[in-house]
Amino acid sequence: MSRTWIIVTEEKPVAALAAAARALGKTVAAVVVGPRALADAAALAGPDEVTWIDAGQDRGVEAFAAPVAGLIAGDAPKAVLAGASPESRVLAGRVAATMSASLVPGVLSLSMAEDRIVMDRSGLDGRVIETLEAAGPVVAIYAGDDIPAATERSGAGAAVTPLVAEGVADIVIEKTEPAAGADAGITKAQVVVSVGRGLRKKEDLSIIRDLASAVGGEIGCSMPVADDLGWVEKDRYVGRSGQHIAPRLYIAVGIQGAPQHLEGIRGARIVVGINNDPEAPIFKASDYGIVGDLYEVVPALLTALCN
Amino acid sequence: MKTVIVYKWARNPEDAAVRADGTVDWRNARMTAGEDDFAALEAARAIAPEGELIGLTIGDGDASWALARGVLQAVAVTDAAPLADNAATAAIIAAAIRRIGGVDAVVIGDSEEYSGVPVALAGLLGWPAVAHATSAEAAGGRIRVVRKQGRNDQTISLATPAVISIAAASPEKKVPGMKELLAARKRPITRQTLADIDAAGPDGVTTKGTRLPDGAAARLFDGDPANAARQLVAALRDEGVL
Ligand SMILES: Cc1cc2nc3c(=O)[nH]c(=O)nc-3n(C[C@H](O)[C@H](O)[C@H](O)COP(=O)(O)OP(=O)(O)OC[C@H]3O[C@@H](n4cnc5c(N)ncnc54)[C@H](O)[C@@H]3O)c2cc1C
Ligand SMILES: Nc1ncnc2c1ncn2[C@@H]1O[C@H](COP(=O)(O)O)[C@@H](O)[C@H]1O
Repeated sequence: MSRTWIIVTEEKPVAALAAAARALGKTVAAVVVGPRALADAAALAGPDEVTWIDAGQDRGVEAFAAPVAGLIAGDAPKAVLAGASPESRVLAGRVAATMSASLVPGVLSLSMAEDRIVMDRSGLDGRVIETLEAAGPVVAIYAGDDIPAATERSGAGAAVTPLVAEGVADIVIEKTEPAAGADAGITKAQVVVSVGRGLRKKEDLSIIRDLASAVGGEIGCSMPVADDLGWVEKDRYVGRSGQHIAPRLYIAVGIQGAPQHLEGIRGARIVVGINNDPEAPIFKASDYGIVGDLYEVVPALLTALCN
Repeated sequence: MKTVIVYKWARNPEDAAVRADGTVDWRNARMTAGEDDFAALEAARAIAPEGELIGLTIGDGDASWALARGVLQAVAVTDAAPLADNAATAAIIAAAIRRIGGVDAVVIGDSEEYSGVPVALAGLLGWPAVAHATSAEAAGGRIRVVRKQGRNDQTISLATPAVISIAAASPEKKVPGMKELLAARKRPITRQTLADIDAAGPDGVTTKGTRLPDGAAARLFDGDPANAARQLVAALRDEGVL
C-alpha cells in the first residue's frame, strides 16, 4: 500500500494535514524540514512515519526543495498535502514538478472516488467551495482550519528517521528581526474594537474609544483608516498586510469585511459586525451582528453595557 | 540582471457574483491584473535596469498592462486557456520563460487564489525560490528579498536564476493615466501561441461545480438600536467574552 505524504515546515497545521491525509485511507508519511523539535512535535500530531531533514541555522527551508521532492517522488504517491505557508508552498511546487503532478491550492478536504482524487477547494476569497477532480497524482496546498493535536496518544508517536539532504539550494537567511509594530498593544489584546471607513470624521473616534474602554479592549482599524486617513496609528490596522490577531472578542464597526481585512482575524473567537448595510460581507464572517447606523448603535451599546 | 515580470490579466474575481445556488456569474467581471502584480513589478524594477526587464502574460489578455507601467517589451502567450491545475498554468509560463532564454530572475505576484502558480513555476524551472516576499533587490549577482514571517521580518539572499513571488501590502496607489497608456501602444509585444513555445500540457484537474460554504450565518439583531444593543450585550455575556 502506497503512502499519502504531508510536507511539514511549521507545527501549527500538522494535525489538520495528517487528518486530511488520513481520509485517503493510506499510511500517512510526513517529511519535516526544520529543527529536531519540529520533527518530534510532528511525530506526535498524527502521521505514521516521519522523515526529518535538519534545515540548520541559516539555510532557508526552501533550500531543501530538491531533496524533499526526490524523497516523495521516489515513493510515487497518489496525493501529497502541504501547509499554506510560503516555505511549505515552495517545497510543494518542487514536488509537483518532479512528480508531474497537478498542484491545487486552497484545498479544504480530499477523498477518493474509484482511483480519482476529489477535492473541495475554497474559491473567490472563501465565497464558494469548488469541487475538483484529478485524474493523476495531486499535490494539494491545504487551507482548512488548524486543529489541535490529540493530547492523549498512546505510545511515543511516529518514529523519526533523519535524512541527510543532498542538492541543497543556495538560499541563505541573512537576518531575522521583529517586524515594525510587532509588539503593539493590539497584538495581545483579548478584546479589540476596530473601526472602518464607516466613521465620518476623526473626532468621532471618541465614541469608538469609549466603547473600547467599556469592554476593556484596544482600538484597531481597517487599513484605510490608518493608511489613507491617518486617524489611527499604523501598527493598529488589522489584515493581510497589518496585524494578525486572535482576540476572544473582535468588534468591527463600520468595516465592510474585505477578504484582506478578514485575513487578520482568522484566530478571533467571537466576531461582531456593526454595519448599516445588511449585505456587507462582514456579516458573513461574524458570529453576531447589528444592522444599523454606528452613530446610533455604538451609543446604545455603551448604555447597554452600563446595565 | 535579465528579469521577467509575470502578470495575470484575467477576469476580476471581486466582480464575480455568487448566486443563491452557489454557481458563479462572471458576466459583470472586468479584466484586471492580479492584485499583487503591481507590487511584483515594483520588485522586478528594483532587481533589473529598464532594458533588462520583460513583461510576460498568458491568455488572451491585454499585454499592455506592464508596458503602461514603464516596461519596454512584453511577451504574450495568446491561446492559453484558464486552467484549474496551477502546475499546468505554471508549465505554460515556464515554457515561455525558457523561450525568452538567459533569464536570471522571474518575479510574479503571489495571488491568494492561484498560490500554486509561482511555486510550481520554480519547481518546473528547478530554480531556488522564495514566496510571499514584500520587496526585492539585486545584491552582488544575487537577489535579496524581505519577507514577513509571523511577527518577524526575514532578509533572505538567493543565488540566481531564481523565482520570487511578491505579496502586495496595499492597493496600487498610482495607476497609469492616458499618457502612459498611449506610450504603451507604441512598445513591442511579442505574441506567441502554445505551439510556438512547445507548451501543450493538458489540465489535470476538472471542476465539478461550486456551492456555497456551509458555515452558520451570523445572528443579526436589527430594528431599534437600544433593543438590538441589549440583545447583543446579553449574547456576548452568555458567550463569556465580555
Ligand atoms: C493588497 C491589498 C492588501 C490589503 N490589506 C489590507 C489590510 O491588511 N487590512 C485592511 O483592513 N484592508 C486591506 N486592504 C484594503 C481592503 O481591500 C479594503 O479596501 C478595506 O479593508 C476597506 O476598509 P473599510 O471596510 O474600512 O472601508 P469601506 O470598504 O469603505 O467600508 C466601510 C463600511 O462601513 C459601512 N458604513 C458606512 N457608514 C456607516 C454607518 N454610519 N454605520 C455603520 N456602518 C457604516 C459601509 O456599509 C461599509 O460596509 C488591502 C487591499 C489590497 C489590495
Ligand atoms: N501569475 C499568473 N500569470 C499568468 N497567468 C496566471 C497567473 N496566475 C493564474 N493565471 C492564469 O489566469 C487564469 C485566471 O483566469 P480567470 O479564470 O479569468 O480568473 C488562471 O486559470 C490561470 O491559468
